[in-house]
Amino acid sequence: MPDGSSAERQDPSGVVVAQNVSKSFGFTKALDNVTIIGKAGAVHAITGENGAGKSTFMKILAGVYRPDAGRIFIKGREVQFSSVHDALVSGVSSVFQEMMLLPNLTVAENMFLGREPMSRGTLSRRIMMRESRDALARVGLEVRPEWLVGHLTVSEKQLVEIAKGISTDASIFFFDEPTASLNNTEVERLERLIDGLRAQGKVIFYVSHRLEEVFKFCDTVTVLKDGKHVATLPRASLDEDQLVTLMVGRPVQDLFPRRKKCRSSLALDVRSLVPQQGAAEVRLQLHRGEILGLCGLEGQGQREILRSLIGVIKPHESDITRISKEGDASPLVPEAGVVSCLRKGVGFVPEDRKVEGLYPDLSIYENVALGPMNRLALFRLAPRVAELVKKIMKRMHLQASSMGQPVASLSGGNQQKVMLGRWFAAGVDTLIVEQPTRGVDIGAKAEIYRQLRNFTASGGAVLMISNEITEIIGLCDRIIVVRQGLTVFETAGSAATEEILMEYALKDTPPAKGKKKKGAGTSS
Amino acid sequence: MQAFESSLNTTENTLKRLLSGAWNLSPAYFGTALLIAAALVFRPILLSGAFFGVILRQAAPLGMVVIGQSMAMRCRSIDLSIGGTVLAVTYIASSHYLSGWPGYMIVLACLCLGLAIGTINGVLITIFRGSAVIVTLGMTIIFIGIVIALARYTPPGEVPSLIRYFGSGRLGGIPIAPIIWIGLVIPIALALRITVFGKYVDAIGSNPGAAAVSGIPYLRVIFLVHVFSGLAVAVGGLLLAGFVGTGFTEAVVGQDLVLNSLAAVILGGVTFGGGKGRIVGPVVGAFMLTFLFNFLTSFGFDESGKLMMQGGIIAVAALIDAAKRR
Amino acid sequence: MRQFLSRSESRSGLSPSILAIPILLILILIPAAGGFASWENLSNLSSQIAALVIVSLGQMLVAVVGGLDLSVGSVISLVTCVLATEGWPLTLTLPLAFALGASVGLINGWGVAVMDINPIVMTLSSMTFVQGVTLVWRNVPGGHIPKQLPFAAVGQTLGIPHSLLWLVLCVLVLTVVLRHTRFGLRLFAVGGNSASARLNGIPVRRITISAYVVCSMIAVVAGVYMAARIGSGDPKIGASFGLDSVTAIAMGGTQFSGGIGGVASATIGALSLGLISNGMNLLGVSTFLQSAAKGVVLVIAVCAQRRKSVGV
Repeated sequence: MPDGSSAERQDPSGVVVAQNVSKSFGFTKALDNVTIIGKAGAVHAITGENGAGKSTFMKILAGVYRPDAGRIFIKGREVQFSSVHDALVSGVSSVFQEMMLLPNLTVAENMFLGREPMSRGTLSRRIMMRESRDALARVGLEVRPEWLVGHLTVSEKQLVEIAKGISTDASIFFFDEPTASLNNTEVERLERLIDGLRAQGKVIFYVSHRLEEVFKFCDTVTVLKDGKHVATLPRASLDEDQLVTLMVGRPVQDLFPRRKKCRSSLALDVRSLVPQQGAAEVRLQLHRGEILGLCGLEGQGQREILRSLIGVIKPHESDITRISKEGDASPLVPEAGVVSCLRKGVGFVPEDRKVEGLYPDLSIYENVALGPMNRLALFRLAPRVAELVKKIMKRMHLQASSMGQPVASLSGGNQQKVMLGRWFAAGVDTLIVEQPTRGVDIGAKAEIYRQLRNFTASGGAVLMISNEITEIIGLCDRIIVVRQGLTVFETAGSAATEEILMEYALKDTPPAKGKKKKGAGTSS
Repeated sequence: MQAFESSLNTTENTLKRLLSGAWNLSPAYFGTALLIAAALVFRPILLSGAFFGVILRQAAPLGMVVIGQSMAMRCRSIDLSIGGTVLAVTYIASSHYLSGWPGYMIVLACLCLGLAIGTINGVLITIFRGSAVIVTLGMTIIFIGIVIALARYTPPGEVPSLIRYFGSGRLGGIPIAPIIWIGLVIPIALALRITVFGKYVDAIGSNPGAAAVSGIPYLRVIFLVHVFSGLAVAVGGLLLAGFVGTGFTEAVVGQDLVLNSLAAVILGGVTFGGGKGRIVGPVVGAFMLTFLFNFLTSFGFDESGKLMMQGGIIAVAALIDAAKRR
Repeated sequence: MRQFLSRSESRSGLSPSILAIPILLILILIPAAGGFASWENLSNLSSQIAALVIVSLGQMLVAVVGGLDLSVGSVISLVTCVLATEGWPLTLTLPLAFALGASVGLINGWGVAVMDINPIVMTLSSMTFVQGVTLVWRNVPGGHIPKQLPFAAVGQTLGIPHSLLWLVLCVLVLTVVLRHTRFGLRLFAVGGNSASARLNGIPVRRITISAYVVCSMIAVVAGVYMAARIGSGDPKIGASFGLDSVTAIAMGGTQFSGGIGGVASATIGALSLGLISNGMNLLGVSTFLQSAAKGVVLVIAVCAQRRKSVGV
């Protein structure tokens, strides 16, 4: 199997060669010594699970990031991009999700931003309009160049980006999950466009989770896993099952504490939850002593479900009851806002610690002490919880010089422990957690899993989402796969495998009878 | 040998801790120390009992105003309506509209006015989400305009004797105004350190996004901060009226107070969203600025020099804050 | 990604309600205020709002990149004092005034774009500092403006007041700058989304600093006009222009978050504010109540803008 040997590098038909590229963010290695080759007149799919490195690779080639190691050749010449603009000049055109278009500029202005045509010292709107009209016609978009981009639909914006690439005579095109927000007609239009580009001899990289698309019009498929290159194969030699197998399948790590039997009493009864207008209705139940995990591909609606449950996003409709450890039932009303939900004894751990979780210049003590204050009235004396904080720090093995240390200086794992510690100190009995171990090292991961398990063992309940499939399988008692806002599959953690979860996450139609593993999960 | 080394280490550590603690101390402390030293050398008369008492009485209104301002800035808001509130309060205190009322009722009326203005600010900022700067500036213009227009018909007179007593009187040789001022600062500073409210102010300033999502009622806290600020400014206005003895017909005094409050707060180590809700630093800053301007006036500085200094201090302080954030 | 523009919003900030304000005002004032529709009053109006319109154009440029400049008023005061310096010819004072304006703009822009200081804090401090410098230059109103200047502002040619000409000239120049230069387009890009603009290769810092410099220089132009109009130097003449220009552009539909605004909206907003002042003058409202009324308008205009963040 070709995998980036030097023979491949010499291949003259390889227009784009990314050789031994590596990139780390902080302490996560997003790409590890990856070599990928793009040929002219071909659509090259890049697939893999969440976090496999697909987006990072694309952004490096598009000039958004600079690689830590490795070289990039375009048409035989080595290039180094210091900005997206550089990449554009070298012929790379990327269709990100609206990253580059300015909403308050017209289509024509967007297409020429950064390389505006001048005539006699002033902006030549005539040239801009004329060339934009041409490019728009070539992509078949019936949008006038003088319209503001902010008024366009997602599909129209995508096509404007493609038109921009065409008008800059780009030779390399990138698509990152382009069909995520498109309807069928729009998808067909995109397909025809890509076909046209291929016929013109362009190099096209196509990052997607949708296996149907990959198999419909891609010529080669590269699989990435955990930042490493797994395989590159011609599409004809693969089928869907083989592809899935290539994407998953990794050594199991002994990080996870043993599952305990969970109780039958409920902690949360979500009889109905519609996160946004037009979204699907979600129903689920969370039991005492249970860790329930929602998983699926990124952006399939899990986050919206969680956030509208806790009131960070105001849901369109909801009918939720919360039952405390002692058995008191009361309605949970996310429409009333997150503060009211949190006051009812439910904790929320957001995925982005820096932006939404921690108070960076406050100390560990102060961050944790905010937890028990949650239900107090404003002018009560703040409880002195030094002993409690010390106890929690010890229980969680939080490495710090003292409780007075500002949390900004802690490692990712320790910061995550502070976030959890805050809710433990508050004495909640239900936790809603997004990405419990994002940006956390292995040792801290094991610790956090143990804490969550202990929490549920003493009667707590955890509802979490995670992009790491091994974490979901290892930690959760019950797993629900979410796809396009719907809960499509439910299984017990003990019975789940990566393959079965990925199959439900990726495919539009569920796998055939023979392959399905029996799930022992109860459904509502 | 080991014992010697370890004792060296502890000395080194203590020294490091002292130095970093001193570094974290706001410029106000250094500034005050420097100023007093300079005064000792060049203008020792400023440190004499009589003069010093005047400086303290002068600083008291500013000192009250910075309490509210530092709370507001700590949670990433600001209160620029000080000028209008002070003018309105001093006018009410000294106008003939209320001349029949007993002294303490007038004081109460002024405090209520301050509360009302603070409430309006709070509503506009938290519910309508107007930019705090512009909203409070607008409020100050409104009140200055109304008061001065009224003053043309009914000029302000003398303030009631009770208020005069607060502003200029003495108790056992010590001027009352600073007594009231410090007497209020201590419990407020304490309250901010030990109540839930104070912790929330710190948290909101540190990360407003996290505050929203972790259950802190941040709109209510910011609203209350503005209400308190209005109240504190009203007290400051009363002390000022008591010090001067009459009401004002010009807006200059109030505008001076606003700029000085910004400078004092920043000198005291509190900036937008930073500074751990310290009240004491800004209070020292208020004293320092008052002392500084008296010091400079004795050398011949006038309004122009003052303005340049105020603008300069705000800019330098903002620069230092920006540099620290990088 | 947030929904930046609703279907009906345009980049200019204009909307039917914005346009309705001056029309309504005119309709109210014609019957209510005696002498409003007279040629004399309209000529007065034009000379009153010329300076405000000019300054608001500059303020609009800064608002488009998401900032604000409160120091324009102090710059105007400084310019009148510089121009009125006894014995200094225009050939010296005019370039000096522009140089000073450019320096103020440079400092403002540097503080905001490079040091990441909040534009309101930065321009508040420069406003105060420059006011102090102005008072050093000239303590009280006085001085002498060279003969050539006053006619340029106060006179008439063919029955058209010169103030109108200044106005129209500035409006035309700025329209060309915003719509027909690369700089103008890039201003909108930076204000719309500075991260995306940077990805497109726009030198965001340079554009932002330039916006502040141009704004200050436009304030100098307004200052020259004011000097011509009052015939002397007055260190406090410009004091209200800072907030007035902010009110004017807000009334015209410019969003302080950036990316939305235009010459038309700034002009219409200044016109609306000018009509309110003019009307109140005609109705005999005291100047102080007038400023209180302007404060109310400012507060309403600002609170009418949608915003997610709370505070400064």
